[in-house]
Amino acid sequence: MSASLAPECNEVKERYDTCFLKWYSEKYLRNTATTDECEPLFRQYKTCLTAKKALKERGIDQMLEEARADNKDNDAEYMKPSGR
Amino acid sequence: MVKFYSNTYSYDYNFPAVSLAYFLRYPNPYSRHVASTDTIERSFDPETQRLTTVRLHVKQSRLPPAVAKLLPKSAVGQDQDGRAQSFILEKSVVDVREEWMETESKNLDWNNVLSVIERHTFRRPEEESGTADHRTDVSVSVTLKSRIGEQLRKRRQRWGEQATATSVIGAGGEEEPVVKQGWFSSWSSGAVRAAVESISLQRTERSQPKAQLGMSVVLDRLRQGGIQAVLEGMKDDRELAP
Repeated sequence: MSASLAPECNEVKERYDTCFLKWYSEKYLRNTATTDECEPLFRQYKTCLTAKKALKERGIDQMLEEARADNKDNDAEYMKPSGR
Repeated sequence: MVKFYSNTYSYDYNFPAVSLAYFLRYPNPYSRHVASTDTIERSFDPETQRLTTVRLHVKQSRLPPAVAKLLPKSAVGQDQDGRAQSFILEKSVVDVREEWMETESKNLDWNNVLSVIERHTFRRPEEESGTADHRTDVSVSVTLKSRIGEQLRKRRQRWGEQATATSVIGAGGEEEPVVKQGWFSSWSSGAVRAAVESISLQRTERSQPKAQLGMSVVLDRLRQGGIQAVLEGMKDDRELAP
């Protein structure tokens, strides 16, 4: 499995990834998925990434913010009424 | 100025295999520089059966020496060895009913130098083609835009406006605001921007076939031994990482 950028989250990430790959290949791709069965594991994984400030420490949360703000800027640019 | 790359090709595998390989494509022998991959958001809509995923990839990258030469170190954020981390934010939507997948990847930290947006569409071919069960059509586009000096230009624009306002008021004879000369002045010429974009386009033209080969390796492993074979292959690739 690919590694997490936060080594402390590797274990929970691996559990989630394993769950997701099984769900994706056995249910989702066969058109029999009704819910995302791996969501509880995903929440744990996400908690590790956010609560432990894994993203923050690496300055990534700020970059994500900037990426979002950038998108808004671009959207505003393109949505501008042309002329008149 | 913006540079644009686009291409279309096919994989000789059905859509489900290709979509799975996309999620499993790092690391592979052609992208050992991908240090990590994290899923940041994922949502499944039972109504439409669409799956939306946002992932963050961290790559060890080296700015092309030709580009590095054009820039002061402080503008790039490299360490002393000239290595830099690239963050790639990738959003994907899979529609399993209609059998297509759309992805968009944005390069995050070269933002002050270069903005790269890469889009992929994977699609099951039309039934009439007779290949729908063992082929997936791909179209890829990459938009490259140098962002050097963007902030500076904005600032200058504002200054320009102020200067105009002043002369209208009739202050007259006033000097233009002094802009520090130096390497900054070359930014505005656009020559550096154009060079960065051209070099990056050449790099894209070289790296795209590699990305395609990487996917093929993952698809082949999937066919040979399913997900287990892919994961074992990944382990080997990770051990070989630089």
